[in-house]
Amino acid sequence: MSGNLQVLLLDDEPIVGRRLKPALAKIGCEVDVFEDPELALAKMAQKEYDVVVTDIRMDQIDGMQVLEFVRERWPRSKVIMITGYAMMSLAREAMEKGAFDFIAKPFKPDDLRRVIAKAAHALGSDIDFDVVEVEKANG
Amino acid sequence: MPLIIVSADDFKQGDEISQKVAGTLGYRYLGRDLLHYVATENQVSEEELARALDEAPGLLTRRARRQRLLGLIEAACLNVLLDDSVVCFGLAAHMYVRAVSHALKVRIINEPEQRAEALAEAEGLSVDKARKQVMRQTKDERRWSEETYNLDQTDASLYDMVISLGTLELDKAVEIISDTVGYRKFQPMTYSRKLMQDKALAAAVRRELMGQFPEIRVEANDGTVVVFIQSLKKDQRKKQELVRQIAGGLPGVRHVEVHIIRDLVGQAAQSSR
Repeated sequence: MSGNLQVLLLDDEPIVGRRLKPALAKIGCEVDVFEDPELALAKMAQKEYDVVVTDIRMDQIDGMQVLEFVRERWPRSKVIMITGYAMMSLAREAMEKGAFDFIAKPFKPDDLRRVIAKAAHALGSDIDFDVVEVEKANG
Repeated sequence: MPLIIVSADDFKQGDEISQKVAGTLGYRYLGRDLLHYVATENQVSEEELARALDEAPGLLTRRARRQRLLGLIEAACLNVLLDDSVVCFGLAAHMYVRAVSHALKVRIINEPEQRAEALAEAEGLSVDKARKQVMRQTKDERRWSEETYNLDQTDASLYDMVISLGTLELDKAVEIISDTVGYRKFQPMTYSRKLMQDKALAAAVRRELMGQFPEIRVEANDGTVVVFIQSLKKDQRKKQELVRQIAGGLPGVRHVEVHIIRDLVGQAAQSSR
């Protein structure tokens, strides 16, 4: 992996992308935000992202389908599932289908940053998560 | 790595399988040894703790005391289960770690006839007498879980896997469990770890408050703790403050909410005075 971590963030609630994009940019991620799963899939058909963060419950195409698509097209990419409807069966299904992690909403930006840092590490590139911690400590 | 929670209708077999699985996988084994620690930490007797785990409440059982003992065990057990790679048996964890996806829940059963034969041989009983004893044990086991957790622990739907030792050898059971836990679906994730942390925090708060509030329910979410207690209207404020003071001082607690459930019996007794 070279350069910044390439992240695709897909959630049909616009507030999620608006809130998380700057939070991830702070740790050096380049983030493309999508609210429409079809557009996100079209983009991913062309471009390999290091990390894909996707909501599960969306109209037309759900997060599990996105996960399956990414696992087949770009097996190296790490997929992080986020959902407001977390339950054991869904979490297990996501992991079984190859998700890198599964996070229940609501969560703090730090929770996602921590998981992204883990994903980056698994891809052989370390993110300096401490930079954010130091910034916060300094106010 | 995941957790393995084992429940069995025969204590000896469940214990042996759990220890062997832990040995095979290099996991920590968490069993009845924990009771020694719980007894020492809380100045209660180890025998009394074991009885709370093994015996269904009877007419003379002090229920609040029994709930408190089980609460002490639960808090200590969950604290260990925050770590990965643990095989847990004999501490009723299958009753309170149900929704956690990285915990593989296994039930070991045996044919009643085989249990009766083994019991008859071990204790020098007639097979007929042993059969009756096995039937009674099964009934008591069911009653224990229903009275304590409102669940029937013999219900197969509570588990990810039920293994019958009437069909499989004990070592085969060990092999199957050890293989199954390797499935990706049982791997820990942010969601399941958080769930476990919330459960452990709720149990720790409950442990601290149970002495003063026997009818207590506690929920935790990311450091926010919601406590439900019973109170008469006149004591409400004092009790809420006490709960906030005790719970708020515990590690991991960031915010405490106290909800009052009206003590209708106490209220009625007071108004009739």
